[in-house]
Amino acid sequence: MIETTAAPFPTLRLRPWLGIVAAASAAIATWMALVWAPTDAVQGDVYRVIYVHVPAAWLAYLAFFIVFLASVGWLWTRRPWFDALAVSSAEVGVLFTGVFIVAGSIWAKPTWGVWWTWDPRLVTTTVMFAMYLGYLLLRSLSTDFTRRATRAAVLGVIAVVDIPIVHLSVLWMNSLHQLPTVARIGAGPALDASMGMTLGISVVAFTLVYFALLIERMDIERRRQAALLG
Amino acid sequence: MSAPQRALLIAARELFAERAHPDGLAAALTFTGLLVLLESLAFGPGRAREPDVASAAFWIAVTFAAILVATRSFDRELEDDAIDGVLALPGGRDALYAGKVVALIVVLAIVATTTGLLSVFVNSLDVALGAHLVLVTVVGVLALAPVIVLVSLLALRVRARVAIVPILAFPMLVPQLVAATSGAAAALAGDATAALGWSALLVVFALVYALLGVTLTPGAFD
Repeated sequence: MIETTAAPFPTLRLRPWLGIVAAASAAIATWMALVWAPTDAVQGDVYRVIYVHVPAAWLAYLAFFIVFLASVGWLWTRRPWFDALAVSSAEVGVLFTGVFIVAGSIWAKPTWGVWWTWDPRLVTTTVMFAMYLGYLLLRSLSTDFTRRATRAAVLGVIAVVDIPIVHLSVLWMNSLHQLPTVARIGAGPALDASMGMTLGISVVAFTLVYFALLIERMDIERRRQAALLG
Repeated sequence: MSAPQRALLIAARELFAERAHPDGLAAALTFTGLLVLLESLAFGPGRAREPDVASAAFWIAVTFAAILVATRSFDRELEDDAIDGVLALPGGRDALYAGKVVALIVVLAIVATTTGLLSVFVNSLDVALGAHLVLVTVVGVLALAPVIVLVSLLALRVRARVAIVPILAFPMLVPQLVAATSGAAAALAGDATAALGWSALLVVFALVYALLGVTLTPGAFD
């Protein structure tokens, strides 16, 4: 039995404030990334791409992990709220994965000399991107609500198997990609303190933007569900 | 009747249907044969004999064939609504996935053997480690089938099913394809250690996806 009452999600009460805080923190992060953080001694200003690339990477992982949790939630409880969370997080996750890949490519051209290379992490990230595009496509081609939500939830659980492969591929295989700079096993961050602080603020700002977008998208989905399920 | 027995029953039913009307197998064999010939022509006789190229051409052909066979298998189920009967049976949901995987493995084994022999024949391939090549082929087929059946089930009764199955399957199959191609190339080139290493990785992929499929697919049907 599907619960059809579109009861408001408690976090939705934070919507106006979250949007304002996200926009303000994004503005601060942009200023820090472009003005406050020092220029890298080796890479010059091109390294500043990391202030977009790294937060986008973090959010790609977070978004798809939330898709996984929401998918489990739907399969467990059959509450439409979980389905709305899954599709919203998947859409925002695809957006950030796209930003992650494009920003990486912009950094790669002056650093590696090519826009694209068959580095294992690049390939597996693109595979992850393709999987979640497929996830959204599968949803768009199903008309029956329960069937769509259930099939998508199964796919959302399976696709998350790919995320550890993406994260660890740089360590498993010989890779051109830079090894972890901040989260290094058995060593401290190989990053200047001011650069590290800017990166931290950027991650927080991007995360707030993610949640602001997620809540807006969830609101749209809950309205659609209410119209569909009555 | 136990769960494995039910799965074997579904597999036997599938294989009997394929034997009675072998349109899936015939289409797959024709398709892979043509694809191997076309790929060999496109690469040219010299390049098509290189272990990496020959292996890649072979596994791409087998992957497409697997999707063809699986799609035909589910078409058959949908034509007369036979799948509804299977799902309504006690334990039918659990058995459907495993049974379909077993049947696809059997059909793919025939396709892979025929395509492999054709590939060796038309390209005059030198096979340095025959037993290793067979091992990679067997575990490669085992690694492909669980993913393709899983995706085919998810796309069942979805619009544009023929398009959505490869779109969902190919990204998931990238690691399996890389491992199978690298393993087969290693076996052709005489690198036993690499062939065994890639085979072990394929076994892991097969187990992971088979476990996910058995666990999750029964819940995918309402």
